[in-house]
Amino acid sequence: MPETKNDLANLQEDVLDAKLSTKSLSLNMGPSHPASHGTVRFHIELDGEIITKLDPEIGFLHRGFEKSCENSTWTQCLPYTDRLNYLSSMCNNFGFLTAVEKLAGIEIPERAKYIRTIGAELHRLCDHLTCVGAMAMELGGFTPFLWAIEARDILWDRVAELTGARVTTSYGRIGGVNRDLPEGWVQKVKDSLVRVAELRDDIDALLTHNRIFLERTRGTGKMSAEDAINYGFTGPMLRASGVDYDVRKAHPYWVYDRVDFEVPLGSEGDNYDRYYLRIAEMKESERIILQCFEQMEPGPILVDDWRYVLPPKNEVYSTIEGVIGHFKIVMEGVKIPAGTVYSYTESPNGELGWYLVSDGSGRPYKVHCRAPGIPLLGGLEHMVVGSLLPDLIPTFDLINMIGGEVEQ
Amino acid sequence: MSEAVVRRIADRFGDKILRAFSQHGDEAIVVAREDLVEIARFCHDDEEIDLKMPVTLTCVDYLGEKPRFELVYVLYSVKKKHRLQIRVRVPEEDPEAPSLTPIYRGLDYWERYVWDMYGIRFSGRLKPLKRLWMWEEFEGHPLRKDFPLRGRTGQIPELDIQDIYRGPGPGPKSRPASRAAEPRPSQLPIVK
Amino acid sequence: MSEEKRTELVNVTIDGIPTQVPPGTNLVEAAKAVGVEIPHYCYHPGLSIAANCRMCLVETNKHPPGKLVPGCQITVMEGMEVTTQSKRVKDQQRAVQEFLLLHHPVDCAICDQAGECRLQDYYQEYDYKPSRLDSPKWMKNKRKVLGPTIVLDQERCIMCTRCVRFMKEVAEDPVLGVFGRGTREVIDTFPGKTLDNNYSGNIVDLCPVGALTWRDNRFRARAYFLTATPSICTGCERGCNVYLDHFQGVPYRYRPRENPEVNQYWMCDVGRLGYHALHDDRLVAARVDGEETEAEAAVLAAARKLGELSGKAAVVVSPLLSLEDALAVAALAKEGLGAKAIYVSGRAAGEGDRLLLRSDRNPNRKGVELAAQAMGLEVRAFDALQGAKVEGLLLAGLEIPADEAGFAEWAKKIPTVVAMGTNVSPLLGAAHVVLPLAPHSEAEGTFVNFQGRAQRFLAAYEPRGAALPGWAWAARLLRELGHETGWSSTREVFMDLGRKLPEGSLGTFDWDATPRRHLKGVVPLPGGTVDGRPAGMRELIPLRTGGTAA
Repeated sequence: MPETKNDLANLQEDVLDAKLSTKSLSLNMGPSHPASHGTVRFHIELDGEIITKLDPEIGFLHRGFEKSCENSTWTQCLPYTDRLNYLSSMCNNFGFLTAVEKLAGIEIPERAKYIRTIGAELHRLCDHLTCVGAMAMELGGFTPFLWAIEARDILWDRVAELTGARVTTSYGRIGGVNRDLPEGWVQKVKDSLVRVAELRDDIDALLTHNRIFLERTRGTGKMSAEDAINYGFTGPMLRASGVDYDVRKAHPYWVYDRVDFEVPLGSEGDNYDRYYLRIAEMKESERIILQCFEQMEPGPILVDDWRYVLPPKNEVYSTIEGVIGHFKIVMEGVKIPAGTVYSYTESPNGELGWYLVSDGSGRPYKVHCRAPGIPLLGGLEHMVVGSLLPDLIPTFDLINMIGGEVEQ
Repeated sequence: MSEAVVRRIADRFGDKILRAFSQHGDEAIVVAREDLVEIARFCHDDEEIDLKMPVTLTCVDYLGEKPRFELVYVLYSVKKKHRLQIRVRVPEEDPEAPSLTPIYRGLDYWERYVWDMYGIRFSGRLKPLKRLWMWEEFEGHPLRKDFPLRGRTGQIPELDIQDIYRGPGPGPKSRPASRAAEPRPSQLPIVK
Repeated sequence: MSEEKRTELVNVTIDGIPTQVPPGTNLVEAAKAVGVEIPHYCYHPGLSIAANCRMCLVETNKHPPGKLVPGCQITVMEGMEVTTQSKRVKDQQRAVQEFLLLHHPVDCAICDQAGECRLQDYYQEYDYKPSRLDSPKWMKNKRKVLGPTIVLDQERCIMCTRCVRFMKEVAEDPVLGVFGRGTREVIDTFPGKTLDNNYSGNIVDLCPVGALTWRDNRFRARAYFLTATPSICTGCERGCNVYLDHFQGVPYRYRPRENPEVNQYWMCDVGRLGYHALHDDRLVAARVDGEETEAEAAVLAAARKLGELSGKAAVVVSPLLSLEDALAVAALAKEGLGAKAIYVSGRAAGEGDRLLLRSDRNPNRKGVELAAQAMGLEVRAFDALQGAKVEGLLLAGLEIPADEAGFAEWAKKIPTVVAMGTNVSPLLGAAHVVLPLAPHSEAEGTFVNFQGRAQRFLAAYEPRGAALPGWAWAARLLRELGHETGWSSTREVFMDLGRKLPEGSLGTFDWDATPRRHLKGVVPLPGGTVDGRPAGMRELIPLRTGGTAA
């Protein structure tokens, strides 16, 4: 204990000159964290506030999707695909069905293609709204989150009228879709889209030129184009880095070659570009849906082949052919010819790939879902190492890692 | 779509391409384990082929065939817009394959998934190999065909920490002895 | 002479696949040999050719172009090229299928054959078109009782005449015939006759649709849910190869398996009805002095009681035990109890018939005799038992060729009786310790039939309750009597004790030749299973096939 004032001054000088030794801090950002989307556990090593190492640990939502699919018929796999990217389940459903139809070599009717496009775009809107809203909330802005949820709720009401369920739709069948558009639904959707556009513009106005938002997202989580390609990024994350790859334009499927839309591109590869890209994509989705409504013609919604599609109920109850077809498809499954296929569609997070192996029986031999979130999570460390800990939040949120698809 | 790619690889590597075929519009080549890294590096570096994006890696278990496992790599070129599948057979007795993470960093998590679910080790990785979805102490590889659908291995034993609050339920050492002897359906043995 | 014949194979090409087959092979069999399926209803390799269903029509280059010929009737000719995938053949298959379905009743929901019905399978594969019929369907008798075992639904019948040919050629009891003409044709028994034959169950297997059903088994189970386990019938000493169809641990029926040397394609009704014994009145708990106890307590009591006798116990082995069980019980008799002989019991003899059924109604008499020989024990007939002075009795299997009540009375006078059995029987009243035995559906093992042929059967499901195979009980008793065996599976018993069997007694039998299922516990069906079981069904392959000795 220093006795005199002079001793105190000497002590302070010694302390000030002493060599500063630091230790890196191991931080566990645990599976339940209010600022992380879903259950992911991060092992972070910090040097002050700068991240030196980041290791995500996942698997909390692993439910054995692939193993379950191997033990069900092709049609029974459909509800499992709902639960992959549960925010845009129609995209998963239709992606899987497109892969199965590619393997079987069947062509679905025109109206079914239009309905699939409309459904996929509606759920793309839902997914982007959730991503933008949740990210804003985790950065501290609660209002955009509530607006996004209101818009999403309106869309879910429309989806429920079409498919019967808001979130996990199980819509679509091998050979088309199972239900046609309800009466008056088209006009309801047009009115809903107007309201959704209003809310989206409100969110845009509140965030896009907001000083705090810009400070947090501009320049954070940068990823160059070569690195993004090398890490296997697809979707908005890749396009934010300036790479022009959208499956809908590069390899058009359904009716994407007949509708007119643009694919927004970023330039910096940082979080702000990714956020704004999502807002711009929502505008394009709206355009696609309205054009589909104009172009659609009445017609059949399921392919007319009883090997793949259940016979109509009046035939099942009154003819032997109908009841046999029904029995065989339900009990043994639709017989998809043996072979392998890799099929790809553009889901809101990126390229959703399906690698299917069939052995000719009514059940898949292997169903592999190329979840777009997995490579994005793999690139997370590269994006945040060297930046501050709070930069992890918007980066991780804009990856939009949905636990369901990353952990299947 | 990518026949030109396959022809160019075949011109360069000749016999190392064991089979090349086209199915439902996708091209695939079958190569041996030993040639995988060389061919993948050529696919990545060559200007004409330009397969710079690793799309996915998966494994199929053909139980009963020898070799048992087939690794399927899907690569894509953003500039040229073509896709290629590379398939490699891995035997059951020696489940090892060379890692492509030095060339394609995006295959890191996919290789962890194949190790976790199928038990194939990858050598020469940039980062250590660990399980992706299951916890580290898990035994067995769930997606193999001989792993039962509802198979589980023993849970991680609860630590006997004294000064924490325990809610209702049995603690670490209180499993009744008589029921412990009976195998419950969730504890059926796993064939490794 | 035979050398020349064997080299005289005929070259034939089927769908572009060249192959060589013996002369006299018809096209359906030749195609099966290369993996091409030619659909057929009326053809059966064990019956004469009728060629009346017209489903197997194919094109060949040896016949005028455009003329389709029945593949089941035409035999191969040198250089023949068969086409089964051309447009004409496909159209013909579709048309035949459509015609067969025209007046077929809409019965799938209530028909027993659903899941193993050829009409369903061929419709889905060759004719997946809607119906074009616009008039009512013909109605015939839907529940015609043909005899004590068979019911005929005349509407479902597609007139393939397999049943008529079977009864005439194989069973040699021609009571069935075709009556009427055109659409009004029906199968029926001749006036005044009933279908009352020991082989009537086979026409139910033969019938490709659900027209003929077995009265014992109607509406009991859906074929989609049944698992088929290869097994051996225990009705008589022939040991016909069968499939035991079961679901969730309950047996539902036997179906014959093809074996050209033992039972060709058939089995008799006596054996078929044997599946009831696997399920009804089963003994599932161990008893000591009439009270149910734990298995360990019963083993201790039995070992104590038998150990006190030291050499004066009589061991009675039933020839329904498998070879491994018999070997283990014989080892127990020799080393544990010091016996010098075993008595062979079994079911009483019945009447054999000309075709399959034999008079000795026990599947493994030869096996039990071989087991005794292997252990160096004498084999004595059951009748000698009541004359011998016996202070203790070990009954391995409760089937005796005498009056059960009378024998139970006699056995009550014996101070120590240990009984192992599968079903509840009057003999249990005389037993002091009762050990539940697992029948052949719940354990794996080998039966040796009257030809000296050793045939393996697999376990279908877990032993019920506390039941264990005979060798497991023998191992436990041996352990309590001081001899550690270390057996933990049926295979180990066979490898350990089977070495002592007389040289060449089992011919070329190889335990490991039967495919062993390496999966255990709850496993999914392997991909590609198309035997009618529904997708996603889990099989429970018994863990304890063989069980543990300890």
